[in-house]
Amino acid sequence: MSSTLLQVQPVARKVTALCWLPPHGGTAYTDTSLHFVTGSGGKHKELVLWTTCNPDFPKPSSEPPADARTGALASVISKVAHDGDVQRVVGLSSSVLATASSYGTLSIYNVDTESGGEAGGRGILQLRESVTAHKFSNGESAVATSLAVQPTGSADAEIASSGEDGRIAYMQASRVETLQSHEVDSTVITDICWPTAAQVAVTTRGGQIKLFDRRTPNDVAAVFVDPSNTYAFECISAHPSQPYRLATGTSTGAILLWDVRNPRKPTNELFDVHGANVWQVAFDPADATRIVSCSEDATMAVTQWVPEGSAGAGAAALGVAPEKTRGVRRISSMFNALSVNCFDACPYTRTSLLIAGSDSGNLLMERGSANGDFGDF
Amino acid sequence: MQQTRGKTDKFVVSRDKEATTHLFPGLFPVGRQAEWTKQNRTLTFSIHPLDSKLALAVAGKLPREKLDRDVRVFEQDQRVTICGVATVPDERLPFINDTHAVFVALQRLVSEGSADSLDQGAGGIEEILRMSSLYREAMLRQVRVLQEVTATNEFIEEEIETFQSMHAIWHLFEIIYLATVAPGLSTSVVPYFMEWLNTNFPAPSVEEGRRIAEGSPTADELAERDGLWPYLKKLAIRGHVSILANMLEKLASSKLLSPAAARWAGAISEASRKMPLGSNEETTGSFNARWKRWNEDVRNIATSIKSLLNSDKKSVDGDLALESLFAIAEILRGNVDTISAESELWQDILGAVMLYSEPTAQASRLPSLASVVVEQYESGAFTELDRALVALLNHDLPEFLPLCSHIDDWLSAHIADLMEHISIMDVCRRVFSVDPREHYILALCETYIGHENLWRVGLDYLGLCKTRAGISVMEEYAMRVTIDSDRKAEQVLRVCDKYKLKTARDRIHRQLGRQKWQRGRLGAAIGHFAKVADSSSISLVCDQLWNEYLGSGKLTYGSVIDGVLATGLKHDRVQFLSRYRDFHECYRSAEYVQAGKILLSILVSEIAPPHAVADLLVDSIPLLEGDTLVFSSDDTFELMRCAESLTASQSSSRISCGIDRSELSIFNVACSRNLARAFVMS
Repeated sequence: MSSTLLQVQPVARKVTALCWLPPHGGTAYTDTSLHFVTGSGGKHKELVLWTTCNPDFPKPSSEPPADARTGALASVISKVAHDGDVQRVVGLSSSVLATASSYGTLSIYNVDTESGGEAGGRGILQLRESVTAHKFSNGESAVATSLAVQPTGSADAEIASSGEDGRIAYMQASRVETLQSHEVDSTVITDICWPTAAQVAVTTRGGQIKLFDRRTPNDVAAVFVDPSNTYAFECISAHPSQPYRLATGTSTGAILLWDVRNPRKPTNELFDVHGANVWQVAFDPADATRIVSCSEDATMAVTQWVPEGSAGAGAAALGVAPEKTRGVRRISSMFNALSVNCFDACPYTRTSLLIAGSDSGNLLMERGSANGDFGDF
Repeated sequence: MQQTRGKTDKFVVSRDKEATTHLFPGLFPVGRQAEWTKQNRTLTFSIHPLDSKLALAVAGKLPREKLDRDVRVFEQDQRVTICGVATVPDERLPFINDTHAVFVALQRLVSEGSADSLDQGAGGIEEILRMSSLYREAMLRQVRVLQEVTATNEFIEEEIETFQSMHAIWHLFEIIYLATVAPGLSTSVVPYFMEWLNTNFPAPSVEEGRRIAEGSPTADELAERDGLWPYLKKLAIRGHVSILANMLEKLASSKLLSPAAARWAGAISEASRKMPLGSNEETTGSFNARWKRWNEDVRNIATSIKSLLNSDKKSVDGDLALESLFAIAEILRGNVDTISAESELWQDILGAVMLYSEPTAQASRLPSLASVVVEQYESGAFTELDRALVALLNHDLPEFLPLCSHIDDWLSAHIADLMEHISIMDVCRRVFSVDPREHYILALCETYIGHENLWRVGLDYLGLCKTRAGISVMEEYAMRVTIDSDRKAEQVLRVCDKYKLKTARDRIHRQLGRQKWQRGRLGAAIGHFAKVADSSSISLVCDQLWNEYLGSGKLTYGSVIDGVLATGLKHDRVQFLSRYRDFHECYRSAEYVQAGKILLSILVSEIAPPHAVADLLVDSIPLLEGDTLVFSSDDTFELMRCAESLTASQSSSRISCGIDRSELSIFNVACSRNLARAFVMS
């Protein structure tokens, strides 16, 4: 097993969700600093806006190299209290955020990274509106477990959220009153994603993946289960360009990669990379032949999944790309002993930049080691 | 008896750890307490099982029924006040998380080490030493972070002091039990001790040094500086000989000094430059020989200055410089009286005495050396920190541990853990009536377990306590952790699985099952009940689904059952509901033969609850009377047998099973007609 050390910054908050904010120009070619938002839970329910320097630009040499322990990785710009634990935060644009809360509410926040916040006394992070989307039949609020944005690229995309009440709620980001929700599962929906703009996929505690057509939100289009095993699914993510490929994380610490081109006979492949619940998976935005994941076992992993003899190997044979072999690169830090709850790989920079948040109250960061050694499973 | 009292006293918490809190506004009017209690009122409270929270309410001394007249009820008396005490300040969270990570790593290291080789080799000590320095780094970092807080208050200052004390104790412990035990030729404790002294009790202060050396003074300017000589003496006491040598060398050229003083300043400067330093490459014997020669030289200087001072010459009378030089020479030659007179702290004396008279002393010499020094002080003048340090120097661990716990629970727990790992705990076990490591770790966990962010840290400590008491306390705590989300439930259950807490796991699942049931999440409820094989609860949930179907006539439980079946659950009632749905689907799609088969198999396999059998028989009537022959003669006999056993049980137990006479007779007629048809067809 090969492992890489992460840089750690203690933040004294249980970091439960985070995301990079898109740069204003769409790409970060000219931005010397990048912004991201973290959400925390437990004692401090907050949303915090951070800034860190863009690794594409070399640091001025006068600055001492960041020490793995003490060097601050990022600095706080602004923070604001959040109603409930932040379960998921997603940047809709460089100035709008959506959050899902443990009190079952979806909130839209305005972010102002430009003005510095002093002007006119407006906050840098400001709640625009929020709405209760998830509730149990007895009136108690249900945790909104996740949130996903329709990949249309338009500013007014639709947001879909999942909850412990077994419902999926849809709403327009600009108008919370458009909220409508549909009961689709009898257990807990653990995560949600949009493989295409017209399709929603969810994972359940009951060990199912369910696909829905957005136009008929009440009817399940397809259900996939892994008949050989009984585990709950904790998270799901769709391949950025091949919507039939879905990555899911299980409660047993495995990553399942599904190919659902034939909905009647889906195939899946299992990668045993973690020792406990996988809380989040995503295809690496820089290289979709890799899956990044984080887990309750306090580690993160980058899994190289592309099979030998596939397109990747062909490119290697032609000398276009280096040959890829399957393997896993585990990332952990001895200063982080508890669950890594969330991560986000920055898609806007050339140098890879991975941040994660943990129950130990740490912000973890890995800069520019995308081509580390991959070990066997 | 005397002995026992001595033991228990150590566990008494010092008074300053108790605190009085006043509620504002109070629960009864100020100054009217007597009047208030006369009206049958008193206060009642309940302590939160995990948190340091207290629920307070006004209650009646006597129950209402026992009172003759009706008592008036006031709105404010009906309030419950929750008082919470923050046991873990937010400032400490990063420190706690950091040290938790080190603690976990240390436990892993030790358990792997003991698995690899049975004896604790030297390599083990080095690894533990590394962990120990990580703990110290965390403490120092915490001090730095606290010092950077701009809005300082009393609390922050106290915290800084606590962390500095903890670091001083930990550092000394590390020197005595780890650093000087590590392999190497020189095992002298002295250089370590001087490093400890200068790190934790820095003297002379940086400001003082800066003031003396400000603006790179000439020799004459330097000689005129206030406090020059006390500063030089401090340098000597603390063993900063090279700085001392430089200053004296410069001073020697000053014209303000008497010729004698200038000459001896030069001599002492030269001598202190030559002070031998031990190294790992040199044996103790050869170092001692060098040391002896040097000590002799210094002694000669001291004697010469003394004779000069005693010579009654007018020129030396009141020569402050010469007297101070004499004192410095005396310190360098290791004169205990001079050292005591010139030192501010007992630690200074001990350090200087060791440095100048026993430079090769090993850790085992510390108790006798320390006792000489400490004797000169009254014990009342000692702080908690001093007492802990003295106990540590005396190798009196049973005394030392409780003193640590007076300073901070974190310190005692982690020191006790470290002591266990380097196998020096036995001496405490003989004195304590409980396992010391377990005792202090449990004490630490109490403060963590109720904290929203630290519950997992607390459980980890309990689990790694590795004693039976630790595990049983952990089980109790695990059951009471507030579960407010599905993910947290998973996390708590995973802890239970990791430490094999079966009772807690079962109770949590049952609790979650009931909670989901209340919230109308029947599928999730069945899922939790299935995890603990709570068959009767599953049956109850299934009955609710069945009754909902009977009430509405709509088969809507499909999604619930599918979600449950996907988890691989095998339960009669769930199977029944699932098969019954299959029956409906077949019937709706006019696959009557298949539908009949399913219905019959439900009845034969007896997975249906008794109260549903009647409904199933009624469901068979349309199939019996249908155009196609669904049931063969054998099947029909089977149906009739079911009906018969149903009526038999109904009459014997006198429980109505929901089938009425008319329906039964229709069923009987349908059966006999179908039987006739079946015979004809076959």
